[in-house]
Amino acid sequence: MPDAKPLTRDEFDTMAAQLGISGAPDYLDELFSQVRALLAGADSLRQLDVSAAEPDMVFVPRKE
Amino acid sequence: MDELEICYMSAGDLSRLVSKKEISPVEIIDAHLSRIQATEPILNSFITLLADEARSSARQAEREIQGGRYRGPLHGIPVGLKDLYNTRGVKTTSGSKIFDNFIPDEDCTVAARFREAGAILLGKLNMHQFALGPTGENPDYGHMHNPWDPEMVSGGSSGGSGSAAAAGQCTITTGSDTGGSIRIPAALCGIVGLKPTYGLVSRYGLTPLSWSLDHPGPMVRTVEDAALSMNAIAGYDPKDVASANVSVPDYTEALTGDVRGLRIGVPKEYFEAPLDPEVRQSVENALSQFESMGAEVREVSFPMFEQSQAISTAILLAEAAAYYRDVVQKDGDKVYTPVRLRLEAGLFISAADYLRAQQARSLFDRQNRELLNEVDLLAGPTEPVTAPKLLAGTVIAGEQEVGTVGALTQYTRPYNITGFPAISVPCGFSSSGMPIGLQLAGKPFDEPTVLRAAYAYEKATDWHTRRPDI
Repeated sequence: MPDAKPLTRDEFDTMAAQLGISGAPDYLDELFSQVRALLAGADSLRQLDVSAAEPDMVFVPRKE
Repeated sequence: MDELEICYMSAGDLSRLVSKKEISPVEIIDAHLSRIQATEPILNSFITLLADEARSSARQAEREIQGGRYRGPLHGIPVGLKDLYNTRGVKTTSGSKIFDNFIPDEDCTVAARFREAGAILLGKLNMHQFALGPTGENPDYGHMHNPWDPEMVSGGSSGGSGSAAAAGQCTITTGSDTGGSIRIPAALCGIVGLKPTYGLVSRYGLTPLSWSLDHPGPMVRTVEDAALSMNAIAGYDPKDVASANVSVPDYTEALTGDVRGLRIGVPKEYFEAPLDPEVRQSVENALSQFESMGAEVREVSFPMFEQSQAISTAILLAEAAAYYRDVVQKDGDKVYTPVRLRLEAGLFISAADYLRAQQARSLFDRQNRELLNEVDLLAGPTEPVTAPKLLAGTVIAGEQEVGTVGALTQYTRPYNITGFPAISVPCGFSSSGMPIGLQLAGKPFDEPTVLRAAYAYEKATDWHTRRPDI
């Protein structure tokens, strides 16, 4: 799977607005920085071959 | 008996005196209330202190015991619950003033089981806001302080539980562990913290942080007290959808002191990560101690250890963001900014990335199970450093300066991902007098082996007998 492109500030601002996130410019700057780091971590998992693994949380119907 | 001695006695030792009517629950509670009064201005362990209620419960326990109705080893023993455990008629804040008026009308299962065992609730303990942080920061109810040096953090998120147990304010405390929140404060405060197998202790009535990673468990001063606590709180609960329907042994029967033939694996990757040299030395000394007691200690490899932060962070923040979304949208300005940042960052994790992290979790789990087919336990440091200064954004671990959150969770997260049991026990002190913890992790539902090893180590050392000068 190709690496995701790093999130741009414009993309972040658009997504933040869609998610209902607002705040002072300093707050949004810090959030942007944290989101970039978080997505980089998530992106690192794309290097793993997970094709043989189901997500660990699968739905199990209750018996009762 | 001297009040301070009472406060530092284990539940096991106190119960032996209570059962023989050599000490009364009233004396025990009074001693602890005096201790809290003396130390709380420094530590800030409690959000709600239940002095009158505890005295009343102690008198009732005394009557029951005098009347021949002794309930067992926790009867009359003071317990403090992290303030995200729902308690009937007692406010439960999850560490936020947003919930300062929330008074549950029902006990969580753990609180109900402690009550049934005769334990006495002393109060509700301070915590990192929403349990989302490893340091014990809380602007709403005040930051928590480490009894060994109040300028240092107590750890988090169950910071009040760590400081209360370490300072003799409570005999038994509880925490909840999503990325290390029981074991981190246990290691940094020099006590015992057990994160049981996922599903073994009910989450019912606890405020969630991350449904698939949350583990309730005991934080105490001795391994025996961890076993006694588990005897009271472990076991199937139909109210918790993740509760495991497994038989629960008497955990104290595992406390034999014998580790001969036990196979202990030490992942080499743990020592390639940023690590303070004094912590490394203490852990190596502990491993040598196990060898001298007849255990077989060997190096193993845990390659996916390096993915643990990415897997855990994606799952934890996505689930936490989902749970707290409405709260943050309504009252975001009342949330501690570092906590709000993490919650809102979690909203940016896509469903595909969340599920990929859960797929990676499956692989991680598989690798951990394979390792635990070769050995009985995995061992290593609980923390790469001793307690950092309050509000420090970075710490020095060996030759590296690393972020505090990442450093404090680097060894604990793997066992939240797998859900396997893991304990932190004191294994030394730094040259500056701060505690160091050893982490032992076992196979799912094999708490007896984890406790057996921890107990044998505790019996062979005296780290757990030291007291902070407070």
